[in-house]
This record gives sequence, structure tokens and C-alpha cells, in this order.
Amino acid sequence: MPSNENNQASTTRAARLIFEYEGAQVRLVSQQLVDMVVTGFDIARAHQAGVYVDARDADGMTLTRVPARDAFATSTEIFPERAGDAIVRVDPAKVKGAFTVVIPVPQAANRVAVVRVAPAQPETQLPAGGATSRVVGAPEATDLATFPLKLN
Amino acid sequence: MSTADGAVIGTTQIAGSAPRNRAFNVVLLAEGFTAAQQNDFNNSCTTFVNAFRTTPPFDDLSAAINIFRVNVRSTDAGADDPAAAGGTGAMVKTYFDASFGGNNIRRLLLCNTTTALQVAAAQVPEFTVVLVVVNSTIYGGSGGSVGTYSLADGATEIAIHEMGHTAFGLADEYPYYAGGNETGHDHHPAGEPSEPNVTTNSNRNTLKWRWTVASTTAIPTMANPDCSQVDGRPSPVPVGTVGLFEGAHYYHCGAYRPEYDCKMRALSVPFCRICRQVIWNRIGPLATLPARARTPISVIARFPEHLDVFAVTNDGRTVSNWWDQSSGWAGWFNLMGGIASPGGPGSPVTAVHRYAGHIDLFTVGTDNRVWSAWWNAANGWHSWFQIGDLVCRPGSIVNVVSRYSDHLDLFTTASDGRTMSTWWDVRTGWAAWFHVQGGIAAAGAPVTAVARYPFHLDLFTVGTDNRVWSCWWDERSGWHGWFPIGNLGCRPDSTITVVSRFPDQLDLFTTASDGRIMSTWWNARGGWGNWFQIAGGLASSGSPITAIARYSGHLDLFVIGTDNRVYSTWWHEGQNWAGWFNVSGGVGMPGGQVAAISRVADHIDLFTVGSDGLIYSTWWDGATGWAGWFALGVT
Repeated sequence: MPSNENNQASTTRAARLIFEYEGAQVRLVSQQLVDMVVTGFDIARAHQAGVYVDARDADGMTLTRVPARDAFATSTEIFPERAGDAIVRVDPAKVKGAFTVVIPVPQAANRVAVVRVAPAQPETQLPAGGATSRVVGAPEATDLATFPLKLN
Repeated sequence: MSTADGAVIGTTQIAGSAPRNRAFNVVLLAEGFTAAQQNDFNNSCTTFVNAFRTTPPFDDLSAAINIFRVNVRSTDAGADDPAAAGGTGAMVKTYFDASFGGNNIRRLLLCNTTTALQVAAAQVPEFTVVLVVVNSTIYGGSGGSVGTYSLADGATEIAIHEMGHTAFGLADEYPYYAGGNETGHDHHPAGEPSEPNVTTNSNRNTLKWRWTVASTTAIPTMANPDCSQVDGRPSPVPVGTVGLFEGAHYYHCGAYRPEYDCKMRALSVPFCRICRQVIWNRIGPLATLPARARTPISVIARFPEHLDVFAVTNDGRTVSNWWDQSSGWAGWFNLMGGIASPGGPGSPVTAVHRYAGHIDLFTVGTDNRVWSAWWNAANGWHSWFQIGDLVCRPGSIVNVVSRYSDHLDLFTTASDGRTMSTWWDVRTGWAAWFHVQGGIAAAGAPVTAVARYPFHLDLFTVGTDNRVWSCWWDERSGWHGWFPIGNLGCRPDSTITVVSRFPDQLDLFTTASDGRIMSTWWNARGGWGNWFQIAGGLASSGSPITAIARYSGHLDLFVIGTDNRVYSTWWHEGQNWAGWFNVSGGVGMPGGQVAAISRVADHIDLFTVGSDGLIYSTWWDGATGWAGWFALGVT
């Protein structure tokens, strides 16, 4: 397309959010607009079990959702010094840490929520011949905390 | 013991040249390096870059990867090393407060993750991954939202393994929690893990990575005979074999990994094929896509604020991109490792949405069999499965019609040109392929179909005499024989495009043997009309005519012209066809296709492969007219 070879669509408005947590308590410690694309890999379309961050509008409707992969980790890895030895996991005395997400924030977004999604019905329980069947048993989402967006 | 114990000096990009807002950006933070030791940090960053960029698949993705180092000076060198955890007892003043001995285990090296994330965000706001490099030769590291590793030999492997979790959502594949001697980890709990590289499902037909499993590979490939312990036997299959190996996700039994070994199971080994695919799908979308020049692009709008686009790359990968009004374009990702048949213009991925939360895909694979995959909003993508054992022409198109939400009808051509069909119904599953009324299509001619009513189908193809033929099916009377529509002579590989503006009307479009863009129509009152050339239009050899009806009294056409430019015309009830015009200066591929969709009546989205091999898009809006073409990637 020589007429427009270097054209790129402009990026969608996105925000980087940094959260800190201790136990079940979570607080938003930083929010900033960032010129950064968010690929489909990080925009949740299938709502599998896990922790997510939602951008929501004034009515509480979720506009975008991204996974928070390292939020509320209940164990940590210990790596072996010698190749071939086992990696092991230990449970820290306190569940404490920080995590970050970059989330698309449409103009209508005015708050963000940290959400935990419980597992949906296991795939193995789909109806027979269900390669194209509807799924029963929707996953359940619970808000852990909600924060106002203050982006300039 | 805090940010008072040092200062940020500055940031340097040490690898990559991708635009920062469209890149996988890795940030390395210096911890425990004094002002005089910054060169040591610089050298350790170079070591990391060399290790990272030679680790597959990162070696193939370096065009989309940037690496930055952030020099930070600390008052003291090193990290805390508590004596209680077997350390030297050193307590030092450093910026990120790194310490060995977390949980009283000396190798567990932790730091202040909030500070690390805030410094990275201030220095490289577009960062993807943050790693803290700790100035100590004591072996140690840890994962989580911020990875830490020391200067000890091999510690960069910790960083790359942890990136697997943080950036790519990969699970640990090792089959134990505390080294193998723990209790309570004999059997994995019920339920399927959400991560892509572990499973509790041992059914070959529904296995989430079944697209990579050879039919000759046993499933399970390796079963643990004693669930009270880790299976320590060697692999029964060659290195790189994808199958189902029991012992994963912290359990000895009941959970499986894709290969015997993987970097998510043990350091210093390569990522398995499944993990490499996941990583490709995270980083690959940041780049624009070189596509097969003439393979048709499919696009669906499950609802007006959303588009799903399906295409095939120049190496045959089946890929998709999607746009949502809230988040923009998501970037291209590979559809479950699928590779489409390269014959003719190349088999496309055809798509249909039976309802808003579901997509069904169809293509012809490199084995010339018909394959399908599906997505639903609750569970995401489910990988490719073969539909029957029909052998198609290389590069055949699978056309699909959903007459109602629990039913699909498929049409394609067999290797000997027979027009073939099958159907799926929610009550009965997939039927066997059958030959439709003895029809034989010309070499390269696809079969197109339309459902004017839920109980009626019309089929069209170019026959071996290069004429346009049709047949129809009605629920009450079944299939009716093929009949010719006029005596237009077509190119043998011409596509018959059909639009039903309302149930008792059909409009057909195709190209004559000399490239003229031709049309005819049928309606219930007057039957078939005569073929006529549309506004003097000529198509590039092999270029199909794309037609959409934004409303019942209007048609828009799109085609690649003989000068390879993208052309359009329209017809409005009561008026003649408008003259052909070039859409926004666009130039496509010889014989290429223009995909079009109307999400709402006053809006059109177009997609085509540009003259540089990349996929481009533009749109028309009733209020603003045609926009400029842009390379379709991620926004």
C-alpha cells in the first residue's frame, strides 16, 4: 500500500496502574497515562479464573479487563544452584507485594476495580458433541476493591 | 535500607529499536551497585541481553523487543545476607532493599517490589517486564511481578523462567511443590488449570494442545506408575515430542505437561513448543503482519462495536486480530498453531458467529483436510479438530452458512472437483460429507452459499464448462439439481459472490473470462435476469468481487482492478451503478481480495493485502467519508 506505507492507527488511551497488597487488602499506589499498545494477549475476552483489573464507567459497567498475573501470590519459587536440581516453592509468612497492569481506558472510564474470577464449569463437563455448544455455568467475579481514576 | 540509600542515575536502551509504544520492553534495574561499580552493572546487563536474545523463541522475535538498563547507585554494595538463613550476616544500605534469606532460605532473594515498579514506570513508562540485578555472586533470585537475580553463574535463567509467569501467564511444569518429598501433592485437584501449558485433561480429542500432538504419539505419553513420588524415569520419546507427560503444576499425578522437559519445569533447558507458541502470541502481535498475497481475509462483527478478522501469514500460519471500540486493535495472534493449505491462492480461514459469544472457524490444512476451531466467551479458544476425512483441493475455501444458531452448513470442493457439503447440528453433531447433486466445479472454483430463509439454501459455483451453475435445497423438498445461470463464460477459478438484500432477492457478482465485472439477479417475481457488466469494471486476474448490502436498497462492491488499485462502486435503488473509484489511494496485490463488512448501516470496514505484503484496513463513515489506509496491527 505505497500510498500510506508508514501509516499506523493511533494508540488507544491506556493507563499504567501499580497496586500494593498485604493479605486481602489492596491499594492503588500509582496511576499514569502511558502511550503503549495493549495487545489482545492481555485484554481478557474469556473470563478464566484469576485476578483481573477492570476499567469501568460511571454506571459500573466494565469497559476493558486485563489480567493481573502476579497479584496476591501465595507462594514463591526457590531456584537451585546446580542445573538439574529441583525448583521448589515456599509459602511466605505474609502475603504481601505489588503488581502492575497496563489497561486501555476509554474516555468513559472513571474507575478501576480489582476483581477475582472464580473458575467456570470445567471444560470436561461440556455437553457431548459440544465442540460448538453453548457453555452453561458462567464464571463468578467478585470485586476486591474499587478506585477512582484520576488521569490527566 | 531504602531509596534514601542511593539514587537513580539514568536510563540507557541497550538492545532493540522497536517503537517503545509497540514493543516488548524489558527493564533491568541496578541494585547494590555503588557509584563506582556501575560498569559492573552494565556488563551484567550485556550478559543478560546475550542470554535472553539467544533463547528461543526470543531469538526470532527480537524485532519487537527492547531492553533498557536503569543505572541506580546504592550507598553500599551487595544485598543483605542474614546469618539466620545461613548467610554472612551482612546488612547493607541499598536502593531497593534487596535481601537474601527470604523465608529463612538463603537463595530466596527479595527486594522492595513497589519501589522497583515505580522506578521502572518513571524511567520507561512503556515497560513490560522489570528485573532487578543484584550485585552479589551469591546465588539467588525470585519471581513475581518483579524478578530478581544475582550475578552468580546461571542466574539469568531465573529471570527468563520468571518472565514466563509474569509476561506470558505460563504455569510451572514441575511435578512437585517442595522438591518431591512433600505430602499432599500426589494427585492434582479436579478442574482444568487456566494456564495454556498444563492440563488435567487426558482426552486426545479435547486436549488443549492437541494441534501439536502427532497421531502416532501415545496419550498419555508417560504415566506415573507411583503417585506417591515424582516419576524420575527418562523420556520414552525423542526430545521435542509433544504429548502428555504426567506430573506437572506441583503434583505427581493427575496433571500433565506438553513435553518431557521445558524451561518452566527446569532451568537451563529450552521452552517447550507450547510455551514458545504462547510467547510468540504475546510478542508477535506487536509487529505488523506479512500475509499470503491472495488468500482471502474473513471478517465478522459479533456486535456493532467489535470486529474479528482472520487471515493467513506468508508462511501459512492461521492468525486473527480483533478490534473493540473500547480497546482498539488487539494485534495478530496465531490461532492454535494452525497452518493453512498453500495451494492456489491459499486456503483462507472462514468464520461464522452463530451468536454473539461464539465463533466457529474453518480452513483446509496442509494435509488438505477440513479443520475447524471455535471460541466462546466463557472458555476462550478451543483448538483445531478435523471434520471427517474429506480430501480437498489444495487451497480450497470452506464456505459456511449458519441458517440458525444451532446449525452450520459447510461447502467446499473435493480433490477431484466434487462440490461437497456437511452439516453440524447441536442435536446430532457432525454429519458425513456428501456430494451435492453430482456437481463438479472448475479447477479452483469455490462453492458459495446463501440462506435466504432458515429453511432454504442456494449454492453457486463455476462448472467445468466455465459457466455459472446453481442448485438449491429446501427443508420440505430437499436438494434440487444444478442448473446454469445464463451462458456467461467465467475464469475457471472465479468466485460467485452472492448477496440476498431481502429474502426473495439474490444479486450475483463474478468476473468473466476477460476480467469484466459481471452481475445478474434473481427475484421471486421475475426469475433470473441477464448478465451485465457493472460500470465498465475490469478486475485483476483472479480477484473476486466483494459485495455488501448495508440496507435492502443499496449495494457496495469492492475489487482489485487491473492496475492493482482497490476500487469500489455502489448501486442505490432507482439509480444506475456509480462509476468505479479508487478507495483512498489504496493499492493491493494482483488477484487479491478486498474483505468488507458493515457493522452499522452508515459504516464500512475494508481489509486487503497491500502491495508490500502487509494487511491494511480503512473505513468509510457516512459522516466523514473514506479514511486513509493503515497497516493492521495493534493499537
